Amino acid sequence: MIESVSDLDVLAIVLLLPAAAIMTTLQKNPYHALVVRGLLGSVAALVYALLGAADVALTEALVGTMLAITLYAVAVRSSLVLRLGTIAEHPEDLPAEPDAAPESLGEPASAIPSELETDADLKPFLQDLYAFCQRHYLRLELMSFPDREALAAALRSREIHAASYRVPEADRAADSCTSDSCNYAIEVRVERLYELMRDELNPACVNLRAAPDSEAAASLPTPEPAPEPDTPAPPTTV
Amino acid sequence: MNWIIGTMLLALLVPMYVAFDSQHIWQKMLAFASVSTKSSMLILAISVLRDDWTIGVVGVLVLCVGNAALMLLAQTIKQVDKW
Repeated sequence: MIESVSDLDVLAIVLLLPAAAIMTTLQKNPYHALVVRGLLGSVAALVYALLGAADVALTEALVGTMLAITLYAVAVRSSLVLRLGTIAEHPEDLPAEPDAAPESLGEPASAIPSELETDADLKPFLQDLYAFCQRHYLRLELMSFPDREALAAALRSREIHAASYRVPEADRAADSCTSDSCNYAIEVRVERLYELMRDELNPACVNLRAAPDSEAAASLPTPEPAPEPDTPAPPTTV
Repeated sequence: MNWIIGTMLLALLVPMYVAFDSQHIWQKMLAFASVSTKSSMLILAISVLRDDWTIGVVGVLVLCVGNAALMLLAQTIKQVDKW
């Protein structure tokens, strides 16, 4: 039966499969890689059908093109996220019962709140943070908390990855701030995020520090309690 | 009839290059839709050439599944695309 399609055509079609696979590995953005993975599934189904394996082609089309990329899209979307806790400027905007459920503790806000944009110190800091997240394909999720204690509790209970707050004027002199002009501090719980932020965030905008009792603090030379061994680190792209 | 297969193969290379070259996610999705449809049409053409209706059924199913996968993926990416 294969004589109806010339050998040259068969060879050319089969060569599309490694070409699509190489294309998939060359993608940097995980979402782009998912789309190209779907393309690879289509090409693989074509090659399997051409070589006479109709059942394999059908399985590849169903699993490789549809199921795998849909599941991976959901997985990538929920894992590539940086949850940043902030202190709400207007506590009355918070949910009525902030401690009712862990999900309702923070209020997700994807955009910079308009009342905060007037803050001359906050704007460059948030812009720097958004640029950092875009560089690493992270989704930034801002969560508001009523006060500093709730923020620290959320950081300890691993609800947020990092906490940002304004450093009071009185504490600023005693702080190990690298620049006098930085009014905001970020405490980072995840070691890899801390390393990336230390290298890439502008020290004039933010005072970066590792959260106590965290993976990031464990990597610092100062003596700190050892982190739990089974701590899952959210994946970050480099 | 081999020239049909050759021409369809050349047409398949165009969206594959676009999918590789483009940095815009929706352009990649369009290229994926194009490759998915073109590859299933190629399967259908091969099934007619070989007079093998099993492959023809697979071609029809790939055509349906490719579009369904595209819609599912587009819904997910639309939620992420805010940033």
